[in-house]
Amino acid sequence: MATTTTTFDTPTPRPLIGYGPLRRLMRAPMAMVGLFIVLAFIFVGLTADWIAPHDYDLPDFSMARKGPSPGHLLGNDEIGRDMLSRLMHGARISLTIGLTSVAIGVSFGVVLGVLSGYFGGFTDLLIMRLIDIMLAFPSILLAIMMVAFLGPSLQNAMLAIGVISIPVYARLVRSSTLTIKEESFIEAARALGGSHFFILLRHILPNVVAPIIVQSTLQIAAAIQAAAALGFLGIGAPPDVPEWGNMIQKGRAYIFSAPHIVVFPGLATMFVVLGFSLLGDGLRDALDPRLK
Amino acid sequence: MINYIIRRLLLAIPVLLGASFFVFWSIRWVPGDPAVAIAGELATPELIAQVREQLGLDEPVHVQFSMYLFRTFQGDMGKSVKTGVPVSSEIARRLPNTLQLAAASLVLSAIIGIPIGVFSATKPNSWFDGGSMTFALLGVSMPIFWLGLMLMIFFAVLLPKWLDLPGPVLPPTGSGTWKHMVMPTIALAANSMAIQARMTRACMLEVLRQDYIRTARAKGLIERLVIYRHAFRNALIPIVTVIGLQFGTLLGGAVLTETVFAWPGIGRLLVEAIGFRDYPVIQGAILVITVGFVLTNLLVDVLYAYLDPRVHYD
Amino acid sequence: MKQKTRLLIGVLVLLSLVLGACQPATPAPDDTPPPATPVPTDVPEPKTLTIVSGTDVEHFNIRRVTSSPSFSVLEHIYETLFYMDPEGNLEPLLAESIEAGEEDFSFLIKLRQGVQFTDGTPFNAEAVKINLDWILETEPAPVFAFLINRIEEVLIVDEYTVQLNLGSDFAPLAAHLSHGAIAMISPKALEQGEEWLNGNAVGTGPYVLENWQPDEAVTLARNPDYWGDAPAIDTVIFKVVKEDGARIVEIEAGTADVAVRIPPAEAGRLAANPNIDIIETPGLRTIYIFFNVTEEPFTDVRVRQAVNYAVDVEAIVRDLFEGAARVSDAPIAPAVFGYSAQPAYARDVEKAKALLADAGIPAGTTVVLYHPTGRYIQDALVADAVRAQIREIGLNVELRTLEWPQYVPKVRETKPDNEIQFAMLGWGTVTMDADYGLFALFHSSEHPPGFNGAFYDNPEVDRLLDEARVVLDPEARRQLYAEAIEIIWEDAPWLFLYSELQLTAVRSNVEGFIVHPDESLIATFADKR
Repeated sequence: MATTTTTFDTPTPRPLIGYGPLRRLMRAPMAMVGLFIVLAFIFVGLTADWIAPHDYDLPDFSMARKGPSPGHLLGNDEIGRDMLSRLMHGARISLTIGLTSVAIGVSFGVVLGVLSGYFGGFTDLLIMRLIDIMLAFPSILLAIMMVAFLGPSLQNAMLAIGVISIPVYARLVRSSTLTIKEESFIEAARALGGSHFFILLRHILPNVVAPIIVQSTLQIAAAIQAAAALGFLGIGAPPDVPEWGNMIQKGRAYIFSAPHIVVFPGLATMFVVLGFSLLGDGLRDALDPRLK
Repeated sequence: MINYIIRRLLLAIPVLLGASFFVFWSIRWVPGDPAVAIAGELATPELIAQVREQLGLDEPVHVQFSMYLFRTFQGDMGKSVKTGVPVSSEIARRLPNTLQLAAASLVLSAIIGIPIGVFSATKPNSWFDGGSMTFALLGVSMPIFWLGLMLMIFFAVLLPKWLDLPGPVLPPTGSGTWKHMVMPTIALAANSMAIQARMTRACMLEVLRQDYIRTARAKGLIERLVIYRHAFRNALIPIVTVIGLQFGTLLGGAVLTETVFAWPGIGRLLVEAIGFRDYPVIQGAILVITVGFVLTNLLVDVLYAYLDPRVHYD
Repeated sequence: MKQKTRLLIGVLVLLSLVLGACQPATPAPDDTPPPATPVPTDVPEPKTLTIVSGTDVEHFNIRRVTSSPSFSVLEHIYETLFYMDPEGNLEPLLAESIEAGEEDFSFLIKLRQGVQFTDGTPFNAEAVKINLDWILETEPAPVFAFLINRIEEVLIVDEYTVQLNLGSDFAPLAAHLSHGAIAMISPKALEQGEEWLNGNAVGTGPYVLENWQPDEAVTLARNPDYWGDAPAIDTVIFKVVKEDGARIVEIEAGTADVAVRIPPAEAGRLAANPNIDIIETPGLRTIYIFFNVTEEPFTDVRVRQAVNYAVDVEAIVRDLFEGAARVSDAPIAPAVFGYSAQPAYARDVEKAKALLADAGIPAGTTVVLYHPTGRYIQDALVADAVRAQIREIGLNVELRTLEWPQYVPKVRETKPDNEIQFAMLGWGTVTMDADYGLFALFHSSEHPPGFNGAFYDNPEVDRLLDEARVVLDPEARRQLYAEAIEIIWEDAPWLFLYSELQLTAVRSNVEGFIVHPDESLIATFADKR
């Protein structure tokens, strides 16, 4: 087998939304399933206010703990609120948490990773040690720790979930950066007098976008799971908010007589996480088939 | 290889220090006076002042941290705000339970996950492969605590109803007999199991593509020998490391499982301490779990080096 | 080959970890400790009674505990001078009688003879004096000191007679002496200090503390030197099982003999089980949400009444409790002496909105409701239900919850730190006398750190309550209390909710287990077939 030749490579344009990756994506059935789930989730989350059949916070004690019935397709919760409407509004909350935490993770993680990979040396060492320390904690534990000490609230939960994703992005971006840094066109750009900042912005970042997108999709899945876990432990979103983990926690007392209160939010969480995972896997395959 | 081990050990130390610093410092995040957080809101002003002096809360950070490390090494992690019992003894009482659960889950997930992965890899794209990988994907997406609750419903309500039994088939909470361990172990193992199945399959596929496998087949070896003596053994290295890493993750997942099943482990201790704002216990529990996590990962790294003769350097 | 061996070793190590650790993590519930004294060979097997409850004992210092689960455990170890039976009759316990003394406002108490604390200290007048003085003089004062703080002097008349000199007549005195917080602790134990008392208990009762695993179980063993009839049960275990569902499973499986606080939704199903009996005990505990009348917007009586009209307590009791509660029509439960019924605040959303508008409260105003969780039956659920209904009249409610040990200090915070707007609480009038239920909660002298969290201050009510304390004629007292309750009801310093009905599941082979209206559980007279 021939060894890789060091030729003067032209920077391969890696179009993000080009004909190639999109087509590959569409040909993968599981990824399409994932995409469908994700789109459905986003749609429900955004339009919950309008399409929910009932007021999600309106109690009807006479319907407390009743199972699925004609007016209430997924049953009623412990004080008679409509489960379907609550799940829909919960979708919005999960979506918010997912996006916010990804935003935090990307902002800090990408910056750290790029700086670390590009400048190398002491910066790299320092940042990587920091990342290692963060990775020393099992991630859910780190989130729990932050919320426990900062005080349980929705903002702190989002912050904590965002923070635990930073190391993942940092490592990912760092390794991409390292790869790209070796490409000759970077050397050329430096030779032509480009500043670091310019190179970072113009050359490194665009090529790092692909793995970031893949990771973010998977990250939203992880964020939703983490949010549900925190909600279940009672340290996530405030109790009156219909977050799926909260709903499971509150319904726990009634699992023997009214299991639907616990079953449906869990199913919802599972499918949404599944959707994002399938989509993420599919995107990974589509955007960089060499990595298969 | 000894060099590698020593190098890894040395690298682990700053990580441990950093992590413990983080845990030590975390009590400062609590809004208000850290002395009050440690002594408890119900403590008398004298007790609060005493705590402040004993822990040197007015000293500069590095002094406080060294004092903290020193104390912790001696086994003093403070006293629980809720019960007044030393944190270290509460943890010592609960930790074995968590380890027991995590170890059992690890064994269960390996016993089921790995064979599934191997089999799937040998018959790629078959019904079995598709089915098992789908299940694995579901297993990874399912919230552990929800699975725990579903198991509870099944074993404590549905199964007795179908089999017309007077009581639940398995006790839903508590501990004390092997029956109490079944459901928490399954719940905790599910996630790991799925990951190991997928991982094993991926590794096996990777290995099966290699040239030496083709050689073995060309030599006329029976397929089964090809798989087990050559492919599996070589795929085993990354698989083993994944197993080891799972143990650490299981420690984290135990928090949720223990809460669902009221298993008296360190995870549940942590959750209850959070409810009670019992900061000394929270700190202690997190520190112990984290140190366990780091040490486990370290052990796995060393094991990896030990098993894979190709690894010489970092 | 080498790799395989290494791997095998690794797996074996792991397996041995699992198998080696596969011992029961905690002692199984049926571990009976060996009897304390040598047992003759024809004595039947020691009997153990396992009680599962949702809360652990706070600690063992009976002077400082505040919750009935704690008293339940401790009142097997410690005894009071008198015992209030479930029907409200006062019986002698450590004291034999109480009568008015010769001097004004003095009372003579004759004590039982031949009683010893379990550390050998004799129980006598000196012990009583030491105990009562401790309650009256210790700083910070015990929470329940207000029960007997009318006592000015405790005198020893002779070895078994004590004289209490009060500043005025005090009708509920004997009833108050039956309260658990006024139990008799061994004087030698008192000397050891409060921290020692938190973890140890030396009393005169039928049981002694054998073991306490915090958050798991308290084990009590029979006191071989008990002065009274020996209890039939040798070991009583109070096991902590937080989840309602889990307690139900234990009682159904028979691993528990008694399960406390059964969720109403499950009671019917359990009652149908031939091995289980459900004991329904009308409670003395009223659950309410008090308004801080000094904080906006609850300074205005119209707002408080509006909230009362907004919440459909009847539906809550009917649907969320399946009828296992009683809609409040007074601040105290019917079983309490001094109760008189008032017209209930039935749900009327229009009227509520009108009242709010009158008071000038704009729609969308946010208020913060504090509530405990896991302390009262379905407390968090009720808070959520209340929140959702108040929302319909235009008030946004934010819920805040704290665990019980933090909750109690929070609602007893003094001004100016106390910024609570409204909070949920329960009050069990364990003395079955209105003084306990009304004085502590509505008299202006009981503002936090007392239990008048509403900061309610009505001179007329004060006067009525003060007078009812000194008047000895029951009819006159009843009249005074009726007037006071009427005023309180109109003033609505509370969102009046319901009084609890206790549902306890007991295995059919257990007899004589008592669930007292004051929520204490009594195993002393129980037996197991």
